[in-house]
Amino acid sequence: MNEAVKEGRYIYSVVSSAVESELGDVGIEESRVYLVPSGEIAAVVHSCVAEPYVTKDEEKAKEWVLEHSYVIDLATDRFGTVIPFSFDVIFIGDDDSVRFWLEENYDLLKEELEKVRGRSEYTVQIFCDEDLIKEKIVTCDPELLKLRDDIEKMPKGTAYIYQKKLGLKVKEELIKEMTRLAGEFGVYIEELVDEIKIEKKVSWVPDKYKGMMMIAAFSCLVSDGNVDALGNLLDGIDKREGFSVRFSGPWAPFSFVQLKGT
Amino acid sequence: MKPERDYGLVDILDRLLNKGVILNADLIITVAGVPLIGLSLKAALASIETMLDYGMLEAWDRETRNWYKNQLMERRPSLAEDEVILYKTFGYIWYNEGLISSWRPGFWYVTNERIFLWRREPDEDLFETYLDRIASVKTGTEIEFGKDREELNLEVDGWIARIRSSDVLAFEDAIRKALFNPRYQTEPEL
Repeated sequence: MNEAVKEGRYIYSVVSSAVESELGDVGIEESRVYLVPSGEIAAVVHSCVAEPYVTKDEEKAKEWVLEHSYVIDLATDRFGTVIPFSFDVIFIGDDDSVRFWLEENYDLLKEELEKVRGRSEYTVQIFCDEDLIKEKIVTCDPELLKLRDDIEKMPKGTAYIYQKKLGLKVKEELIKEMTRLAGEFGVYIEELVDEIKIEKKVSWVPDKYKGMMMIAAFSCLVSDGNVDALGNLLDGIDKREGFSVRFSGPWAPFSFVQLKGT
Repeated sequence: MKPERDYGLVDILDRLLNKGVILNADLIITVAGVPLIGLSLKAALASIETMLDYGMLEAWDRETRNWYKNQLMERRPSLAEDEVILYKTFGYIWYNEGLISSWRPGFWYVTNERIFLWRREPDEDLFETYLDRIASVKTGTEIEFGKDREELNLEVDGWIARIRSSDVLAFEDAIRKALFNPRYQTEPEL
C-alpha cells in the first residue's frame, strides 16, 4: 500500500500581523506565499508536500535559498522586522497545524518579535594589514629593531635562524596586539548595539579584503536609531592606518532569534 | 560609514543554512539541512582563513568583554604593600569540586610574591599561591572538542592547578622569571 502523500507548510518567517493576507507567487518554485495569523502574529508559509526540498543540483539549491531570502526581505518590508527561519523547515499538516504551533508558542514568539522590533542585524568585520602592523611592531621596539639590524650583518646560516626567531616574536606580538584591539573595538561597538555575537567562522569576504588578516567579526543587533552612530564609530576604526572595516546589513535578525522549547 | 548591502551569495547561504530558527518538534520535519541540499554547497561555506587560525578571540566571550570593560575602568585587585605586578593576563582555572567542574574565568596576576586569579565581580581571588609553594611549572596539551588546547600546570602543595590563558608560554615565562627573583631565594647570597 502506498503511503498517502502528506500535506505540509514550508515556513519562511514569523511576523507581526493579525490579518490574513498574501505576498504573491514569490516563494520557492514560485509557490504562493501567504500568512497564517494567530492573535497578533502570523507565520509566512507556502503550501507543499511534507517533504524537505532536496536536490543534487547546486544551482537549483542556490535558487531555492535565494527565493527563501527574498521572501524574508519582502515580509520585512511589509511587516517590520521578522523572525527568520532557516531553510527547509516544514510543518507536517495544514494551516491548522501552523496555527496550533503559533498558539502553543505565542508568548515566546511575541516576545522575540518584540525584542527585534525596530532593529536589524548588521555584520561588522575588522581587518588589518598584517605586514604594515608587523613593520610598526618592529620599528616601535628598540630590541626588535636592533635584532633586525644585527641579522643583516650575520653569516647566512645564523641569520636564517635569527630571522625565524624574529618572525615568531613579531607574530606573537601581532596576535597579542590584535587580540587586545579586537577586545577594545568590541567594547566600543557593544555600547551602541543591543546585542553582539562573535562570529567564529566567516565563510566569505569580498575580494577587496582578501589577503588582509581578519581580527574580529561580529554580528550586531542594532536599533534603527543607532545605525548612524555605529557607522561613525566604525569609520574611526576604518581610518586608522592599517585597518579596514566591512559594515554590511541590514539583515533579518538571523543570529539573534532563539526559540528554545519549541 | 554606511552599511553596505554587498552581500555575497555565501553570506546569504551562511545565514539561511546555519542560522535562523530551526524547529524541533514532532509536527515538523525539521531538516534545515546542509547535507540535504548537497555537499557542494557545504563546501562553499567552508571557512576562509579566519581569526580562529590565529587562535584569536577564542576566549572573547562575555567574561572577556567584561574584563576589557573593567580594564578601561582601571579596577585592580588588592596587593600587599611592596607587592609588584610582574605579569597579568585574562585566563581560566579548572575548578572541580563535587558535581561542579568548569573553567572559571578571571584575571591572572603574577607578582613578586604570589600568583593569583582575580575575579572582579564579585571581587574574589579564585586561586592564590605564594611563589615559594610552587613545586613545578609545566605546559601541557589537552584535547578538547577534537582540538588541542594548551594549558599550564602548576604544582602546589601536591595538587595540580590547571590554567588556561591566551598565551600559555608567555604566562609560564612570567612565572619562571618571578620564581628566579632573588628575593625568593631562601638563603640570601652574601
